[in-house]
Amino acid sequence: MKYFSAIFLLFLTLAGQSALGTEQPVDRLNATVDAALNVLYADSCGHLTAEQKQAKVRSVLEERYDLSILIRRSMGRNWKLLKVEEQGRVSDLIKQLIVKAYVEGLNGKARPVVSYGEVIQVSEKRLEVPSTIVLGDKTFNLLYRLGRLKSGWQIYDIVAEDISVVSNYRQQFDDHFRKANGAQLIEKLEQLLNQEGLNEGIKL
Amino acid sequence: MKALNFNKNTLRLVASLWALAAVSSPLIATEDFLSEEELYENDVVEIVRVNDPFESINRVTFKFNDFLYRNLVEPIADGYTAVTPDPVEAGATNFFYNLRYPVRLVGNLLQGRLQGAWVETGRFAINTTVGVVGIFTPADSVEGFEPIPSEDVRQVLGAWGIGEGPYLVLPLLGPSNLRELGGYLGDRAVNPFSQPFTVLDEWEWRTGYSASSFVVGSPTLIGRYQQMKGSAIDPYSALKNAYIQYRRAAVEK
Repeated sequence: MKYFSAIFLLFLTLAGQSALGTEQPVDRLNATVDAALNVLYADSCGHLTAEQKQAKVRSVLEERYDLSILIRRSMGRNWKLLKVEEQGRVSDLIKQLIVKAYVEGLNGKARPVVSYGEVIQVSEKRLEVPSTIVLGDKTFNLLYRLGRLKSGWQIYDIVAEDISVVSNYRQQFDDHFRKANGAQLIEKLEQLLNQEGLNEGIKL
Repeated sequence: MKALNFNKNTLRLVASLWALAAVSSPLIATEDFLSEEELYENDVVEIVRVNDPFESINRVTFKFNDFLYRNLVEPIADGYTAVTPDPVEAGATNFFYNLRYPVRLVGNLLQGRLQGAWVETGRFAINTTVGVVGIFTPADSVEGFEPIPSEDVRQVLGAWGIGEGPYLVLPLLGPSNLRELGGYLGDRAVNPFSQPFTVLDEWEWRTGYSASSFVVGSPTLIGRYQQMKGSAIDPYSALKNAYIQYRRAAVEK
């Protein structure tokens, strides 16, 4: 009887660990998107300034996802053209940019209604989650591409209305590095961040 | 409640199972994870690249268009949306979309999409009659005649396997490529309301149609343009890549 109890205990512990490590990707995505939207729309966050909202959204996103993956994939081979200290700075600036665009993009708009389609299992290590976002009278399609990493299922690309965000930024970085360098990229990113009304009509 | 009281054998068994789990899981797991190489070096999905040999000329045209969009199209779009109630705006958009039915019909037929041609014809008939010359879209709720992805001659050329050719930025018209330019001319040829084969004899009517169609489409045009430009590090590159991705997806659908 003691054997059974011990094995059962062990099983429960392992099962618990396994469940934590393999949290359903859609649930995780849904929870993250919902938490990020709550920062913008929940009454409890109504008193926050735009900067505070941006910081909170960033912490919500980074709690569950490693944004560096999206950034490094967008940079591609250009990543290695940056000095180590530039890599850190570029990564931080782009994270700020993503969050700022998100917060400003939804400013003054009704809370979007997000729904998720059936998960597409591309391979053992890759899956895709289609989603639909209804924002006012407009509907957008968004596809999340997730890869299985040691840190769990991570987003490695987002396809908005058939446009891959990683491909789009890769093009911009490729074109930039053909004529300019890392320091100039940092300068551009800083300018963009200081610009007002970054993206009032951005898609999610 | 009686406390669990394990003997040495039980503890040994548990320890062995733990050790087995600890040793075996990383071995299995390493192969199941995406490696850094796969993520950052080999690209797990294809990265879209654009052939842009005329970049320096295109960038000049892009700046010219950007000036026009900001100083002409944007004020027109803002003025139009300010004075037009939303239902009227939606009705006007529907009206002009309905008039372009011949383009969608030809787009479907040339790709052998008979079902698509049938649906477009049915939608045109229902929306033109019940929907008062296409202002309303009652066909949306008629089974079998729900909206389908729009087809045109530009997509036909892509579906036929004709190469894209170099990327081009056309004055006023914006992003394109050689194949899309050919398709655009084809679209105009099958549209009975635009040159060269138009049913509108008088220049006043032709100008009126073109101007109205432009004004009605301007909010969508400027909205998309601002969306792409807003958070772009290099707006020219962002628009180029977005346009090509969007059009390739339209051809594949």
